[in-house]
Amino acid sequence: MGLVCRIAEEANIATVCVSTGRDLTAQVKPPRSVFVNFPMGNNFGAPEHREQQLGILRKSLALVHEADEGGVLIDLPLTWPEPFYYLNRPTRKTA
Amino acid sequence: MEPIKYVDELNNHYRSLGHPVYRWTINSTAPLHRIDKPLSECTVAILTTGGISQCNMSPFDPNSYNDHRLDAIDKDTTDDEFQIHDAYYNHDDADRDINCVFPISRLRELVDAGEVGRAADRHWSGFMGRIYNRTKVIEESAPAFVSKLNEDAVDILLAAPA
Repeated sequence: MGLVCRIAEEANIATVCVSTGRDLTAQVKPPRSVFVNFPMGNNFGAPEHREQQLGILRKSLALVHEADEGGVLIDLPLTWPEPFYYLNRPTRKTA
Repeated sequence: MEPIKYVDELNNHYRSLGHPVYRWTINSTAPLHRIDKPLSECTVAILTTGGISQCNMSPFDPNSYNDHRLDAIDKDTTDDEFQIHDAYYNHDDADRDINCVFPISRLRELVDAGEVGRAADRHWSGFMGRIYNRTKVIEESAPAFVSKLNEDAVDILLAAPA
């Protein structure tokens, strides 16, 4: 994904990567990244939490104009309400 | 909590499968394209890698790798018209509300509110399958994708990996 963002950016399309994997994103270094410390698949927050989803979307889009150098990565000050883990498992139900 | 160390976890996972050490892409610099016009005049497209397809399309292979499939998704698709097939993350929440990972309705709301200029005619879902043939991405798949973004006059690509 970061690689695709870099190629789009080089073609004059501004990109923002909204990531839940900070280390993965940091090493690929997309042009602009927002790190959301939520479970993978919850990049924009919890289900049916419209305000949270809108907030993350707004912050992400704002970075298009705020970034002044390529490779910027900002950490959103958000906390997921319960512990979560790395998983190679299909769903929480079966874990 | 501290961010999950996905790189270490994946290295351990690959090792447990008997795979050779994975050579991650590590970049020290990145390009930056500046946009002069305000967000309220920009066209935005979303790209997800979360194995999301429209219900009237074939599902993604949940265990795929080197899958360069890329679906166009009409910007007016409603939240209940999606299915998710991806074994590499927990999509219980996204099954309930696609906007957790693919904020198509939230983007529409920002457009309606005048905060964003417009949504591109097409959003995108693909590049999901643990793609290890990076040369093909660089030389074929990503440039083809960029051409489609240009056809839709996209100013901003919002990318959400999963």
